[in-house]
Amino acid sequence: MDLIEANTGYFAVSCKREPSTEAGTLQRERQLNQFLAEVERRALRIAEIAVRDRDEALDLVQNAMIKLVSNYASRPQDEWTPLFYRILQNGIRDWHRRQKVKNRVMVWFGRGKSDGDEYDVVAAAPDLAGRSPEQELQTGQAMQKLEVAVHALPGRQREAFMLRTFEGLDVAGTAVAMGCSEGSVKTHYSRAVHSLREKLGEHWQ
Amino acid sequence: MKKPIDSEDFAAQAKGAFDDSVERLDAAALSRLNQGRHAALAKLASGNSKARWMRWVPAGGVAAIALLTVLVMRAPEIENMPVEVASDFEILLDGESLEMFENLEFYSWMDDVDLDAGGNVG
Repeated sequence: MDLIEANTGYFAVSCKREPSTEAGTLQRERQLNQFLAEVERRALRIAEIAVRDRDEALDLVQNAMIKLVSNYASRPQDEWTPLFYRILQNGIRDWHRRQKVKNRVMVWFGRGKSDGDEYDVVAAAPDLAGRSPEQELQTGQAMQKLEVAVHALPGRQREAFMLRTFEGLDVAGTAVAMGCSEGSVKTHYSRAVHSLREKLGEHWQ
Repeated sequence: MKKPIDSEDFAAQAKGAFDDSVERLDAAALSRLNQGRHAALAKLASGNSKARWMRWVPAGGVAAIALLTVLVMRAPEIENMPVEVASDFEILLDGESLEMFENLEFYSWMDDVDLDAGGNVG
């Protein structure tokens, strides 16, 4: 089997593809189903913390699933996790960009708040996750505090923290998922942990 | 008095709280995830999603050029627009954003409610 390594300078991703037969496709479908079933719940929570909206998060996760299956199903299985999260993180970044553009358009139409381009419409939005007070209680006070603090982190720090801590990716996998160097991952992660500990206090939980 | 936690303990506690919240996802969310997964796997069977998407490229390109032409003709009026304008229009040209224009009245209403009620909608 041919193996071509595409080294971009930041990370290496193999271009190895599995042979395509009918039996192979069925087996791949089973493997993909198992992979997505394992990853989907954590992915949903990660997306939800990033965008603070359950429905939007569900759409983002579904789009990431579709893109992974459509474009990368033939890639080796051990590459699926970083690839899936790379697609999801790109989707989340696009979502934040759209929110900013929508806000700029609202300002243009004279309906938005003209606090400048840095106005964060996401942070200012009410919690649209639709959780009842009962569910809020169940979620746990500690997780709620953590969610708010993680959401408030700068984007790249938030990505590094959630991929390393919540998804459990190693530094190399996180670098692939974020599309940056391993050194950058370490820096973003370290800053995120420092900032979160400072915000949540030494005795969080 | 509790001992201050170090970075590793902090990460472990955060992971524990996160895993706990994953376990508590409600049935409606799990059902939608399941549907989304099967919709994605259906793409593997059809295998032509890319080809379908490619059919829209020429139409999208024409729409983008038309919009850009109008903007260039109106350039003096919009010279104070933000520098991100090119990428903004790329974003605004997608279907979801066009929906926003259709619902502009709704967003205006939300904005009014937000101002009146100090951000507490619903």
